[in-house]
Amino acid sequence: MIRIENLEKVYKTEDIETTALNGINLHVKAGEFVSIMGPSGCGKSTLLNVMGLLDKPESGSYQFLDTELLKLNDKERSNFRKKHMGFVFQNFNLIDELTVFENIELPLIYNKVPSAERKVLVDEMIDRMNIHNRSGHFPQQLSGGQQQRVAVARALVTKPKLVLADEPTGNLDSSHGNEVMELLCELNEQGTTIVMVTHSSHDASFSNRIINLKDGCVISEKINKSRTEELI
Amino acid sequence: MFKLNLKIALRNLWRHKTSSFINITGLAIGLSACLMLMFYVSYEWNFDKQAKDSDRVYQMMTNITDNAGAITFTFNGTTTALGSVLKQAIPEIEIASRLSYGRINLIANGQNSFKKTACFAEPTLFSMYDYHFISGSPATAMANPRSVVLTETMAKTLFGTADVTGKSVRYDDKEDLTVAAVIKDLPENSSNRFDFLMPWSLYTILDPGAREVGWSDFSYLTLVKLRKGASAEAVNSKLGPLLKRYNNGDQQHFMYPLSRLHLYGTFEQGKSVGGAIEQIRLFVILAVGILLIACINFMNMATAKSERRAKEVGVKKTIGANRLSLIMQFLTESVVLAAISVVIAIALIELCFPMFNNLLSIKMDIGYFGFEIWAVIIGLVMLTGLIAGSYPAFYLSSFDPISGMKKKTRSRGFFSVSLRQVLVTGQFCFTVMLFISTIVIYKQIQFIKNRPIGADINALVELPQDGSLKDKYEVFKTMLLRSGAVTSVTHSSVTLSHHGSNFMGITWPGMTKPANDVMFNQVLAGYDYIKTTGIKMRNGRDFSEKLASDSASLLVSASAVKVMGLKNPVGTSVKVFDNQFTIIGVFDDYIWDAPNKSNNPMVIRLDDGVPGTIVMKLNADRSFQASIETINSITKQINPAYPVELKFVSSVYADMQHGEKILGILSNLFGGLAIFISCLGLFGLVTYSAEQRTKEFGIRKVLGASVFGIMRMLSISFIKMILVSICIAVPTAWMLMNKWLGKYEFHTSISWWVIGIAIAGTLLTAILTVGVQAYKTATSNPVDSLKYE
Repeated sequence: MIRIENLEKVYKTEDIETTALNGINLHVKAGEFVSIMGPSGCGKSTLLNVMGLLDKPESGSYQFLDTELLKLNDKERSNFRKKHMGFVFQNFNLIDELTVFENIELPLIYNKVPSAERKVLVDEMIDRMNIHNRSGHFPQQLSGGQQQRVAVARALVTKPKLVLADEPTGNLDSSHGNEVMELLCELNEQGTTIVMVTHSSHDASFSNRIINLKDGCVISEKINKSRTEELI
Repeated sequence: MFKLNLKIALRNLWRHKTSSFINITGLAIGLSACLMLMFYVSYEWNFDKQAKDSDRVYQMMTNITDNAGAITFTFNGTTTALGSVLKQAIPEIEIASRLSYGRINLIANGQNSFKKTACFAEPTLFSMYDYHFISGSPATAMANPRSVVLTETMAKTLFGTADVTGKSVRYDDKEDLTVAAVIKDLPENSSNRFDFLMPWSLYTILDPGAREVGWSDFSYLTLVKLRKGASAEAVNSKLGPLLKRYNNGDQQHFMYPLSRLHLYGTFEQGKSVGGAIEQIRLFVILAVGILLIACINFMNMATAKSERRAKEVGVKKTIGANRLSLIMQFLTESVVLAAISVVIAIALIELCFPMFNNLLSIKMDIGYFGFEIWAVIIGLVMLTGLIAGSYPAFYLSSFDPISGMKKKTRSRGFFSVSLRQVLVTGQFCFTVMLFISTIVIYKQIQFIKNRPIGADINALVELPQDGSLKDKYEVFKTMLLRSGAVTSVTHSSVTLSHHGSNFMGITWPGMTKPANDVMFNQVLAGYDYIKTTGIKMRNGRDFSEKLASDSASLLVSASAVKVMGLKNPVGTSVKVFDNQFTIIGVFDDYIWDAPNKSNNPMVIRLDDGVPGTIVMKLNADRSFQASIETINSITKQINPAYPVELKFVSSVYADMQHGEKILGILSNLFGGLAIFISCLGLFGLVTYSAEQRTKEFGIRKVLGASVFGIMRMLSISFIKMILVSICIAVPTAWMLMNKWLGKYEFHTSISWWVIGIAIAGTLLTAILTVGVQAYKTATSNPVDSLKYE
């Protein structure tokens, strides 16, 4: 599904150049749940941003469903992103002025889904995330776990092929963190491909494969046998 | 999508109450000021443009030339002969109408008498103005010389109803006239206004001057209407050769569009060089400027709180929003804000409009039921929304998703901060300029006010010499003097503050030219004129009842002596309209008509029978109130048919600066508003700046920074911007106001203290505005600051 070859990304300031990605190669199959780990500054978030078309690398190739994405212009990237990708962030990134329902509905509006259909899809998602009693609330009226459930619901409402999660439990306590991880596992079991950046080995243990980065390079790759066997 | 944008906009406004308050207050005041000024501009702009054929109606103008043939003076007075000659000789002229200047006269229904504006005109006037006839018709309204046309309000004032055709009214306590028609009230912004209109044929019966068809008396107006498609230029070019046949080319006339006269009515060398239009332009700049200041507040506040909005932009872009949809969202927000502000602005206008009308002494009306007004209001809302919202919309929507969500907007901040600085600087530039202009205008008004009038108007009162006061003047004078209310009484053909009749028919010994070509002003006066008015004499004496020879005597102004080149004027014999007069005194020129320019030469001739204005010097040893009551009572006794209209001459002189007063009032009012809105914006910016730097200030305080040090850190960048504004605004305002002052023959100068006050005032206001918030920040508990984030 995803084929990344020799990806390089350099951040430049007036005085220094920092290589964030240094010739990364990465393949992700459809239906996989991949965790990316590594110390701070190793480039894992940059890799996720490039995969989410939020950032542009200097060189390399990034193929998604056999389409080379690095050649797309801004508008095409934006269209591709809203059609095929969903995002879950550490700090939820919900829009404070919108209710739970409206936050989840937002990607559907941008995808020009008709209003009646939007309502069905959002209600379905709200049921699935078990937050129906909160649909009229604003983000600041929810607990962290509930906010992240809304963020996941928003990421999934367009039924994306790929969900990119950047430390999804980073701002949650362990019980809420586990809830979110179980939710991601459940989604993965239903066929959604997930790429997650995390510091937590506990969270990574939910994935099929763990990729370790250091200084912008993949230094190791580990198959999580228990999850893979479960998958088989 | 629009619904969603609207929802976000309203919720944002509700959540961020301080900035919403600052934005809405600023925009509401800005919009109300702008709308009020625009209403005033529209009122002035539409002067004499109400009639559907107004573009074909022209006012005949007269040029006065000097010895060398250069035009020295242009005015709208014409002779009685001009109109009919034009109509007969120039085929392009469809109709011509002579009319009198509007004058205040008595009109009565039985005991119900009022002094109202009267006008005499030829019936062709009805084809120039689209008067709306409530009863009667243009064809019959002036068929009978003893008929009158009333406006609706006049009819209701006299009879309590507008249905009065056929009823009788008494004019000037002399003539019984039949109401032939009632018309809707004339628009306020019309030059030739009247409360009642009478036929020219009646005028010729009542006034010998109007009866005589001649070329020497310029006391009448002439309007002409051209045929469709006729060229005014072509007609004007025919006038010279045509008029040569009648008056040897001594008189130069030209047609000038009536609809332009109000705005472009100042003439130099016979050409229009502006007029009220300059003030109108100034008001447009003021209106746009104030609205821009409010818009700048919105822009600054929006970009200052960009960090708050960055996350939203980042998230939306990540989940599929494109830049256009974000731009639309931010523009929706600003238009919503402008719409809320305009509702408040309309409420403010409703509240202030009567006061505004009162201040300007006009009667503007806002027609809320008209399509145009709503088109203007909605247009202004959209425009304000777009102007205020465009920069924030383009700026905020440009954030890239990653830094947006991480709230790292400062990387793009350099540009945004510089532009914000430019905007604040621009805002305060305008404010400082208004500040300086306001003081200079005030200073000029005071300068003119304090200019010696040349007469002693202190305790001087005047009264129109109407009705029985004309015949019983001597009785009236004796009663007044005997009562002790006054110390001196005189009368003259015109009020002291107004010019008399313009004429050129004067010759004097030693004249080098065959005929005089300098326009003189003539006032006819009774005995004790100089004594009562206190006009300063240079040589000679006042008219004396004891000397019968004074009936052929003349007082001349110092400028008249200069024009005539007389070395020993007193005793010199001069000829006025073929009558020989002896100069018995020379007086200093005094102010009449316009206090900011010098007047033409003047002569005062003794004519004790001429009715006009009675002037009285109140007895300084008695209370003015008691004296006025005595005068009222004596006047009522002698002239019961007329209301007593006693005026202090000093107030008449004060009213002369009407235009400057309007400018002063508006610049004071709107200058104050501009300063308020600018400071409101500054307050908002400081508040946000303090909020952004809460943590930094907390750390600094923990490390030992003083309250003053922190206040200085927060204020200095803003004060610097104000200083830059001052540096730009002061020379600009200096230049512009010097140019404005240059228009006046007598004008003040811009002293250094004016600039000093403006600078100190602006700085003080800004420091206070910034200081309040800076002090609040500097004195907050550092522990609270460090808890932040």
